Amino acid sequence: MILQPAVLALLLIALLVAGMGIYAGYYGMRILGQWDPASGSEGQLELERRTYLVSTIMSYILSFELMSLFLFIYTADELHPLFTGAMCAAGTLAVNSFGYPALIIKVVNFLLAGVWLIVNYADNRGYDYPLIKVKYELLNLLVPLLVLEGVLLFAYFAGVKPDIITSCCGSLFSHESSGFSGDLAMLPHLPMQIAFFSGMAVTGASGLFFYIRGRAGYLFSISSTVTFLVAVASVLSFICLYFYELPTHHCPFCLLQKEYGYIGYFLYATLFGGVVAGIGTGVLMPFRKVGSLIRIIPAIQRRLVLVTLCCYLLFTLITGWKMVFSALTLG
Amino acid sequence: MIELSNLTKSFNSGQPNQFTAVDNVTLAINPQQITVLKGPSGSGKTSLLSMIGCMARPTSGRIFLRGVAAALPFRQDGADAVEITSLPERFLNEIRRSTFGFIFQQFNLVKGISVLENVMLPAYPTGEGRAEFRARAVSLLEQFSIARLASQRVELLSGGELQRVAIARALINNPSIIIADEPTAHLDSKLSHEFMEIVGRLKGEGKSVLIASHDPIVFDSPLIDTLVEMRDGAIVASRSCR
Repeated sequence: MILQPAVLALLLIALLVAGMGIYAGYYGMRILGQWDPASGSEGQLELERRTYLVSTIMSYILSFELMSLFLFIYTADELHPLFTGAMCAAGTLAVNSFGYPALIIKVVNFLLAGVWLIVNYADNRGYDYPLIKVKYELLNLLVPLLVLEGVLLFAYFAGVKPDIITSCCGSLFSHESSGFSGDLAMLPHLPMQIAFFSGMAVTGASGLFFYIRGRAGYLFSISSTVTFLVAVASVLSFICLYFYELPTHHCPFCLLQKEYGYIGYFLYATLFGGVVAGIGTGVLMPFRKVGSLIRIIPAIQRRLVLVTLCCYLLFTLITGWKMVFSALTLG
Repeated sequence: MIELSNLTKSFNSGQPNQFTAVDNVTLAINPQQITVLKGPSGSGKTSLLSMIGCMARPTSGRIFLRGVAAALPFRQDGADAVEITSLPERFLNEIRRSTFGFIFQQFNLVKGISVLENVMLPAYPTGEGRAEFRARAVSLLEQFSIARLASQRVELLSGGELQRVAIARALINNPSIIIADEPTAHLDSKLSHEFMEIVGRLKGEGKSVLIASHDPIVFDSPLIDTLVEMRDGAIVASRSCR
């Protein structure tokens, strides 16, 4: 294991998130089994107080979880000079078989944690714990994944040794690569550009429609999620090419480096921020008619839609700007 | 109306030194009336008032506020009653500000600032314009004949004046329920009678008044509507005085 401050911070966060997740999950199980708002029993009143504590703790812990995704890719990028063959985070993550699974689970947990924070925020605005069951069901889905993330991170960093020879991003994300990353890199430019801009346009239109009329929230949510997936594929397929000004370099991690102004952090932050807000809008849809949230949820959803629209607009503008002004022209 | 359902307050629950201050109290307190909780020290009056006034949480049991839901900023459409023991703290703050006015045994006025500022203090967190609640505070001081003391520091006031300032402060947010805990404990008989006169006026204005006291001037007053006797945390008698 490499004892670097960021590695220790990540492991500490993973330990904290998993530990607090298990603690919250225990109360989540009790709440799902014993919650009875009609009862004034000592047990019910204790659960009511405890859920306030648990949700406060988890909102901080899961905020750390959100930030830790970016710390993880930053750390992977920072460590790459230690490994022969690595040119960026892509090589660092490939030093053992736990790197990419850890990244994937962190991305999944980022999305779920973001959605949980939105549901928790809405629940805390209602005076009668209106979303308590949904909130803890979601938390109980998240907790095993948080624990798995902690295990994968420990396994990954425990297996990171400076003398390992790894692959460079050029081979991992090239047309010759046989894996999923190679398939994404091989996606044709023009259809992907059409899909990307169409997805952004549909998300923008459905978002504006929802913002003005308060309808078609599911359409907006699905559209923002599909557009997120298309955008991620587009980064590998054509967007990163315009930043590198190289027609064959499809690495999504080199964008995080100083040579490219650390633009990757901004691009990924807008993309992930936008999709979390978009999914959150859809997740809140079934609860718009809940008594104590009848005025609150539509207001939250309007803010979420605005977040998604702003994030995606920024992503699209930066992409469009680079496509227009890049020295590279794709045929 | 305030409805208490099987309300219990225990300290150090589950410990060898567990103490039950309020023991399974069920009670209905009528609106726009004066209700007095009578009992010796340690009978649970203050604990009960603290729970009703959202300053303490019960160990078990529920408290329902009926008829005041319309005044609450977070009320549900069509809901008449709000159950307050389950509310998260941020909602309790709103209820404390909008529904209850408190008069404490020691008055709890803030030394070092003026009478007017003391009266205005509970209105600051409401978000209302300062000019509006300042005018209301001045009006309350006039109503209690202490407008001349507005700029005085509270440490320079007599007991009777302190009490009037405390009452004015309790009324600044125009609450529907006034809670007074041993309000005459530090007053002589003349001032105690004056206090009861003020309480009678508040009742006339449509306020519900809930007083905990073991002062005969209070619980023998002809103004009160309901007398609830407590001992060892339980209600031993409750009777209408009308």
